Amino acid sequence: MANDKRTMTLNLTDAEMVALEGLAQKKELSKTALIRQALRLYQLIDQRTSQGEKLMFEDDKLQKKAEVMVL
Amino acid sequence: MSARPIELIRKATRDFVPGILHSELRVQELVLVERRWAVERARVMAALLGAGVPRPQWPESLHWDWSSKASELQLLMASGFGVWCDEDWQGVMLTKTVGYSAALGQDEGKPVVYVDFVESAPWNWTIRAIEQEPRFKGIGSLLIREAIEQSLKEEFHGRVGLHALPQAESFYGKVCGMTMVNADQDKQGLVFFEFTRQQAEQFRSAGGKR
Repeated sequence: MANDKRTMTLNLTDAEMVALEGLAQKKELSKTALIRQALRLYQLIDQRTSQGEKLMFEDDKLQKKAEVMVL
Repeated sequence: MSARPIELIRKATRDFVPGILHSELRVQELVLVERRWAVERARVMAALLGAGVPRPQWPESLHWDWSSKASELQLLMASGFGVWCDEDWQGVMLTKTVGYSAALGQDEGKPVVYVDFVESAPWNWTIRAIEQEPRFKGIGSLLIREAIEQSLKEEFHGRVGLHALPQAESFYGKVCGMTMVNADQDKQGLVFFEFTRQQAEQFRSAGGKR
């Protein structure tokens, strides 16, 4: 079943853990839910960039546009 | 696919008919949905043309093609739901959990379950111009309620967002009780509607109706 869960141990540095906890608090998600969201987003970006599309950040106020390089 | 039993109301007899709500639809199911519905779309279109109904009055999803949306289900962020009853797909929905966030109140910037597409089977559309009554009622409400359930499971607290076709705006605003946020120029001017966590709970506790 696609919804069956598997457990893993995640080793993070202090800085990474602080970032994870901060984002989880900001978005009101558990750390597991936040990492799940991050994985979904990464998969989406990887799929679209693999097809030749570009990921851009745009700031209307500063009239700035920058391409994000995804590795 | 995972599934749970539901009941639909057959409009003609007002009987409850057992059905199944499937989550985790796969690509092949959406392709099969469209194979079945395409015939009905053609029937509806022929009837509308025959009755001389002006195009702005045609159902706005008449041109949709679920088989073209099916590949989205290969991504983790996408989920497919379908209502099966009377040996047919009575309605389907495609949701996404990435790319959209809440715009309202304390939850601004927090994730929502985004309803990318939701549609009842063509035989469930009310089209007065050709005297078509729906075979089953309440498919849209049922599926929107399922989006709320998904939002709760994802820890999004019931928050749901969607861009409504103009013909569906009153359904989302008045029947569901969602807040009309704004017309989105990035989405052909379609209006973005949002369920706050409180509105979602109200809709849910009312059994999918307000």
